[in-house]
Amino acid sequence: MTDRTKSKLLIALLGITLLCAVVTPWLGYHLPQWDVIFRPDADDMDAIIFWQIRVPRVLLSLLAGAGLSLGGVVFQALFRNPLATPFTLGVASGASLGVTIAIVSGMHFSLLGLSGTSLAALSGAILSIALVYGIARASGKLSPTTMLLGGVAISFFFSSLILLLQYLSDAGSSFRVLHWLMGDISRASMDSVLQLAPFIISGVLIVSLLHRELNLLSITDDMAASRGVNVDRSRHLLFFAVSLMVAGIITVCGPIGFVGIMAPHICRLIIGSNHRFLIPASLLFGATFLTICDTLARNISSAAEVPVGIITAILGGPFFLWLLLRKNRSLP
Amino acid sequence: MQTDPTPIIQASDLNLRIGSTQLLDDACLAIRTGERLAIVGPNGAGKTTLIRCLLGLTQPDSGRIEINGRPLAELSHTGYVPQQLAERISFTAMEFISMSRYAYGGGGGGGGGGGGGRGAGFKQADEEGMEATEQAIELTGIGHLRHQALSTMSGGERQKVSIAAALAQQTPTLILDEPSAHLDPKQRDIIHGLLAKITREQNISLIVITHDLNWASADFDRIIGMKAGQTMVDAQAGAFMQKQTLIDIFDADWLLHPHPESGRPMVLPCPSLKP
Repeated sequence: MTDRTKSKLLIALLGITLLCAVVTPWLGYHLPQWDVIFRPDADDMDAIIFWQIRVPRVLLSLLAGAGLSLGGVVFQALFRNPLATPFTLGVASGASLGVTIAIVSGMHFSLLGLSGTSLAALSGAILSIALVYGIARASGKLSPTTMLLGGVAISFFFSSLILLLQYLSDAGSSFRVLHWLMGDISRASMDSVLQLAPFIISGVLIVSLLHRELNLLSITDDMAASRGVNVDRSRHLLFFAVSLMVAGIITVCGPIGFVGIMAPHICRLIIGSNHRFLIPASLLFGATFLTICDTLARNISSAAEVPVGIITAILGGPFFLWLLLRKNRSLP
Repeated sequence: MQTDPTPIIQASDLNLRIGSTQLLDDACLAIRTGERLAIVGPNGAGKTTLIRCLLGLTQPDSGRIEINGRPLAELSHTGYVPQQLAERISFTAMEFISMSRYAYGGGGGGGGGGGGGRGAGFKQADEEGMEATEQAIELTGIGHLRHQALSTMSGGERQKVSIAAALAQQTPTLILDEPSAHLDPKQRDIIHGLLAKITREQNISLIVITHDLNWASADFDRIIGMKAGQTMVDAQAGAFMQKQTLIDIFDADWLLHPHPESGRPMVLPCPSLKP
């Protein structure tokens, strides 16, 4: 596939994402009147459902899907392992632990416009990356395998801490933690969209600027260094970018698994490994995928909405196995 | 082969100790433009550590490394061909080679489609990069592999792409770590021929780690023999290939016999010494 074809493919994908963003707010048990788009501030039922519930929800899932997918792209390249994502590496559990502590302790403060919960999530995410990195560094070699194993261990450790906190807390906050842990976009509001947007946008900017470094780092650290890449600095920046995006998503939506592993692989199969194309493709694909999953989540059962984390995991689990069993060489 | 008398890379008294192991023990190395230098020695002698220091990938505890008379500062001064590229790499040859232009601001990916317009300077660098990439592809004769993924190539083809990528860096020196160790005899000869052609036509210096003593004797100007972190012997290829030198470095004995055509000394197994 030539670069020209890849660019055309990206434009097509952008079209699909936009189409998805325009169509999905209309889908649901209640079909709003078409003229609702002209009265965003009205207070009739159609306008409230469309503008205050569905539109923020679609925007939120577009942002979260893009961030989760890009986090997967970055980790798969940095760890040179097809199964590496912020979830398998403990970053998501670190952020989740932060949010759990915030919920259980009833933390209510904000700093520089960031809520206490999102700060706790960001601290948890950065803490877990620092731990994984520290473990690998202490073992002498910064091998991706050591980091991956360290991440899995930390992920388990943090998950049990979350369970412990949940067990010790009262029924009310325990239930809130449980519901949030399922990964849910249903409480979306314009506020949550505005809360998440800066996290995702800054993360995407950092990663996009480092696409050439990501290409070389996905081969080996030595290769990258010998071609002139400042390996440590690039890795720190990329880790920070992923922490930002994951912390934002975990705070607002809870842990939504499997988007980060599926979307990058599908995109890599179609558009190749060059991060110049892989980054935008994964952003768009992840955004579209999560939005479609969420539309399914709110329509699949008439009794209650299914948390979107369950849908992505149900679709993602079998895909994950297929990936493991398949003999394909075009993985990172 | 024209040889400039001033060294292009000069490393002196390099020491590196990790734990209780002295990886490098006052190791020295110098190479001039157009010179072909082989590094031989038993496993664990410090050959790879030495070239990692030259490339700036490993920091020695003490010692000096100078590139063109200046202390080693930036990393992209020397083309590096690692032992073997992993099979999992799914970049196309074109993508992989153009990535080597990183230090010049290139490496966004293969040809065509003008993605990043970062001003005139960047554009110009990109064009030079395209030229360097094309030249490297032509030199290594891999035009037909241009758009093929590395993961679908044979070991020999991947090695050619790896050499082309190092060439695209347009550095005066190439460092290769056992470039033909894992190849079949035919592919090995092709890679050896390719390296000989590159040094002949481009006046590029070569530093090569190898266990192939016959190749070192046939195709190189100078040989350094390493043992226990020391650069024990540093001599012209002909002078290096002596019975006593080989015994000193490898603790093993071979028969030495002149090549029937070139007359260069070759090592042959010594039947009487077999257990």
